[in-house]
Amino acid sequence: MGSLALYRAIKSGWINFWRNFWLSAAATLVMVITLSILTLTLITFNVTNVAVKNIQERVDISVYFKGKVAEPQILNIKSHLEAMPEVASINYISADKALSDFRAKHAGNALIEESLAQLPDNPLPATLQIKAKSLDQYPAIATELAKPDYQTYVQKVNFEDNRTVIERLSRVLNTVKKLGVGMAIIFSFIAVLVIFNTIRLTIYNRREEVEIMKLVGATNWYIRWPFIVESILYGIAASIITILMTIPILNYLLPRLNLYLGTMLNDQTSAFSLSHIFLLQLGIALLLGIISSTIAIRRYLRV
Amino acid sequence: MIRFENVTKLYKDKKALEDINLEINHGEFVSLVGQSGAGKSTLLKLIFAEEKLDSGRILIDEVDIASLSETEIPYLRRKIGVVFQDIKLLPKKTAFENVGFAMEVAGYAREKIERDVPRILEIVGLKDKIMNFPAEMSGGEKQRVAIARALAHKPVLLIADEPTGNLDEINSYEILDLLHKINNLGTTVILATHARDLVNKIQKRVVTMETGRVAYDQAKGHYKL
Ligand SMILES: Nc1ncnc2c1ncn2[C@@H]1O[C@H](COP(=O)(O)OP(=O)(O)OP(=O)(O)O)[C@@H](O)[C@H]1O
Ligand SMILES: [Mg+2]
Repeated sequence: MGSLALYRAIKSGWINFWRNFWLSAAATLVMVITLSILTLTLITFNVTNVAVKNIQERVDISVYFKGKVAEPQILNIKSHLEAMPEVASINYISADKALSDFRAKHAGNALIEESLAQLPDNPLPATLQIKAKSLDQYPAIATELAKPDYQTYVQKVNFEDNRTVIERLSRVLNTVKKLGVGMAIIFSFIAVLVIFNTIRLTIYNRREEVEIMKLVGATNWYIRWPFIVESILYGIAASIITILMTIPILNYLLPRLNLYLGTMLNDQTSAFSLSHIFLLQLGIALLLGIISSTIAIRRYLRV
Repeated sequence: MIRFENVTKLYKDKKALEDINLEINHGEFVSLVGQSGAGKSTLLKLIFAEEKLDSGRILIDEVDIASLSETEIPYLRRKIGVVFQDIKLLPKKTAFENVGFAMEVAGYAREKIERDVPRILEIVGLKDKIMNFPAEMSGGEKQRVAIARALAHKPVLLIADEPTGNLDEINSYEILDLLHKINNLGTTVILATHARDLVNKIQKRVVTMETGRVAYDQAKGHYKL
């Protein structure tokens, strides 16, 4: 296609777009609804996903040792535990390290510093922080630590079982995925139908013109392009409107979520970058538009 | 230039054309006459591929129309200018736009369209009606716009189907005169018409059709019947 033909196709498509304003508005609106559902699903899905990962990362088993247990003994237990297939990693924090961390954390707090100075010994225990390879392996590790062999050394095992929270979140995640994808498919279908009908009407309104164009020697694509351009314009209009609606929502939501989850969502996944969201919206809108117009053209534009 | 070989055309089961053999040469002026329903329009439509024939073949410059692909047909049509029996002007476009639109379709640039269209409209005698809509024009004026549109892309063949349809005698002669001028400039012209007086005045080749067949083909013809 030459640049002249391209220019004429765009011009003609532009005229089609504006010729029947309310119809074009309706076509754009359903597309906006479809894109909004899709965007909302995507954002919710990603937020939940990040939340789950976040909590998973925070889960661990902390083993606090009695004061008199010597470091080689602890390291011995550490390597014994590391041999377990369930264990992913173990972090050893010596009593001295725990104390210096504590001091660093409360530096400048005169009361705490004074109290610490008065104590004859280091009051803090040595600790092993154990991470399992997956969530459901924590109980196995906890069971191992509950064995009598460890009782002589271990002062306390701290295992906060977050599995129920995580499972609940995972269920939310699944529901969001199913519901969102389901709704998006339904609305995509509606959008295709509405745009298909709009293009069909444009073809009907322009049937005289199309017939004459054919008879004076227009190529098939010269006749088809304006209708495809029209559907592309619906897609562009809809994705611009949707992204303009997405911006304030993200601006409101992201800082609050970041605060709540203690993360930088924008850094963790590109799913929250506006340009990515816009490109995705535009891509889907164009795809739906082109599918609709192609079907309408095949059925109603006899060239 | 155009050769019909044993051409038959059916609409559903009804024969519109039967065993047509006809040859038209470059530069000729051919009048196609016959009663209403004789098959004149059908014969013309086969030439620019608006309708497909059922048997036989039509050669244009030795190329069989049936062998042309869907993408080649537009280029055949750009060699032919057609004045349709039902005129087919777009009501929402001015005379200028109706002609310019056909040139756009054929791929002409804006500047050329703006230069050529007023000239062509002047040639057909519509200098003052360039910006008028079809509803603001008389029947004869609309016919002239249709002729201008058919000529805009400089066709080698002009097909005029009943261009004097509802016109009075004077207007008809003027249109005929115009077609003659075009023919004298080298364009082959095929004119389908009912108008007896018109044909008798032309003194050129007349092909007479009767119920889908070529009944007479005379070099310097008269309207028989
Ligand atoms: N699209 C069509 N479908 C069915 N029959 C048709 C169609 N077009 C024409 N016919 C029939 O074919 C025959 C020839 O029609 P055609 O239009 O070629 O006649 P014509 O000689 O041009 O007549 P007129 O002088 O009235 O224009 C007629 O009997 C007509 O009824
Ligand atoms: Mg006719």
